[in-house]
Amino acid sequence: MTLLTALGRKGLGAVRGTGALALVVGRTFLALPKLERRELGRALVQFGYGSLPLALATAALAGIIVVLQSGIYVQRLGARAFLGWAAGYGVLWEFGPLLLGLIMSARIGARNAAELALMQVGGQIEGLRGIGLDPFAILVAPRVVAMEVSMLALSTFTFLVAILFESVAALLTLGLPLRVFFGTFSQLLGPWDVLGGVVKTGTFGLAISLLSTTVGLSARGGAQAVGQAAASAVVQGCAAIFILDFVLTAVLAGWMG
Amino acid sequence: MSVLGFFGAPVVLLARTVRASARDGVPWRESLAQVHELGGRSVWLVMSGMAFFGAVLVTIANSQARRFVGNVAVLGPAYFELLIRELGPAVSALLTASRAGAAHAAELSTMSVNEQVEALEMSAGDPYADLVAPRVIAGAVGVPLLCTLGTVAATLSAAAVAQFAFGVDGRAFMDPRYVDGWDVLGAFLKAAACGIYIPLAAAVAGLKARGGAEAVGEATTDGVVAASLGCLLIDLAVSLAFQLLRL
Repeated sequence: MTLLTALGRKGLGAVRGTGALALVVGRTFLALPKLERRELGRALVQFGYGSLPLALATAALAGIIVVLQSGIYVQRLGARAFLGWAAGYGVLWEFGPLLLGLIMSARIGARNAAELALMQVGGQIEGLRGIGLDPFAILVAPRVVAMEVSMLALSTFTFLVAILFESVAALLTLGLPLRVFFGTFSQLLGPWDVLGGVVKTGTFGLAISLLSTTVGLSARGGAQAVGQAAASAVVQGCAAIFILDFVLTAVLAGWMG
Repeated sequence: MSVLGFFGAPVVLLARTVRASARDGVPWRESLAQVHELGGRSVWLVMSGMAFFGAVLVTIANSQARRFVGNVAVLGPAYFELLIRELGPAVSALLTASRAGAAHAAELSTMSVNEQVEALEMSAGDPYADLVAPRVIAGAVGVPLLCTLGTVAATLSAAAVAQFAFGVDGRAFMDPRYVDGWDVLGAFLKAAACGIYIPLAAAVAGLKARGGAEAVGEATTDGVVAASLGCLLIDLAVSLAFQLLRL
C-alpha cells in the first residue's frame, strides 16, 4: 500500500510540475508585450556578460576534449586531413552546446530559482499581485528573454573560441599545421552544421530559464525551501538538457540527412 | 574579483585550514557526515550524467568512424583510454562541482549571514577546523570515488549503446590495452585536486557573505562558478603537464 501511495504521490507531483510549467510558459508568452525593460537590461548584464569568463573556460575545455577525442584517429590511423571536420563537428553539434548548457544551468538556473523562491516564500510575489502588477511581466518574462539572447550570443562566441583552441591544441599535441586544420574545417562543414549547434543552444536556454523560474515560483515553506529550489533547479536543468540533446540530435540529423 | 584573488583566496584558506586542523585536530565524525552529504547526494546525478555522456561519445565516434574507418570497434581501446584519463574525471568533477559547490556555498553563507560563524568563534570553536576541514576531507575522499563510479557508468553505457544501437561489438570499449599506470595516476591527480578545490572555492564564497537573503544567492552563484572554473583549469593544467612531459 505504501508503495502505491508513493507511486501516486510521484505521479501527482509529475502532473503538477508539468501543469506548472505549462502555466508559466503560457503566462510568460502573454506577458511578453508588457515586459519590464529595466529588469531585462539587468538580467542581460547578469546572464550574458557575467557568464563570459565561465563560458570562455568551457569553450577551451570543449575544444581540447574534442581534439583529444578526434586525435585518436590521427594517432592510430594517420588521418590528418580529417581532423578539422571531426573537431568542428564535435564542438558545433555536441560538446559545445552540451557543456555550455550544463554550466549555464548551474550558474543561472540556481540563481533564478533561489531569487524567485525567496520572493515567493517572503510573500513579495503576492504583494506584486496585490498592487495590480503582473509578476510574469516583471520577473519571469525578462529572465526568459535575457536567457535566450545570452545563450545565443554566448553560443556563437563559445564556438569561435573553442575552434581557435582546437586548432592550437591540434598544433601542439599532434603537430598538425593550422592550414591543414582550417582547410578541412571549411571544406567539410557547411552553414547547416553551425545552425544545428545554435538551435540546440537556444533550446537549452529556453528549457533552463522556464524550468528554473517554475521551480522558484512553486517553492513553498521557509528558508529551507529556497535551498531546495536552487538544488532542484540545477538537477532538473541538467536532466532536461540531457534529454533534449538526445531528441534534437536525432531530429536534426534526420532532418538534414 | 581579481585574478590573483580568485586563485589566491582558496590557497590561503587551505593553508589556514591545515594550520587550524593541526592545532585543534579534525572532527572525524563530521567529516564522515560530509562524505555522505557530498558523495551520497551527488552519486545519482554524476552516474546518470556520465552514462548519458558515454552514449553521446559513442554516437559521435560512430558518425565519424562511418565516414572514415567503417567500424568504430577498431578504436574502442583508444576511447577507453581517453575516457579514463581525460573525460571521466573532468565531467564527473564538473557535475559534482555544480551540485556540491552550490550546497556548500549556500550552507556556509547562511551561517555567515545569521552570525552563526561568530557564535562558533565565541564558543572557542574554529570555523576553519570545524567547518572547512571536514568538507575538504570529504571532497578529497568523495570526488575520486565519484569519478570512478562516473567513469564506470560512462563505459558501461558506451558499450551498451555500441552493442544495441549500432550493432558493433561493445566489449571493445572495455579493452584496457592502451591504459597504463600513468593514465590512472593522471586521472587520480585530477580527481583529488578537484575534490580539494571544490569545497575551498565554495567556502571562500560562503564565508565572505554579509547581509541578507540577497547575499546568500550571490554567494551560491559565486561558489558554483568558482568551483566549476577551478575544476576546468585543474583538468587543463594536469593534462597539459602530462602532455608536455610525454607521459
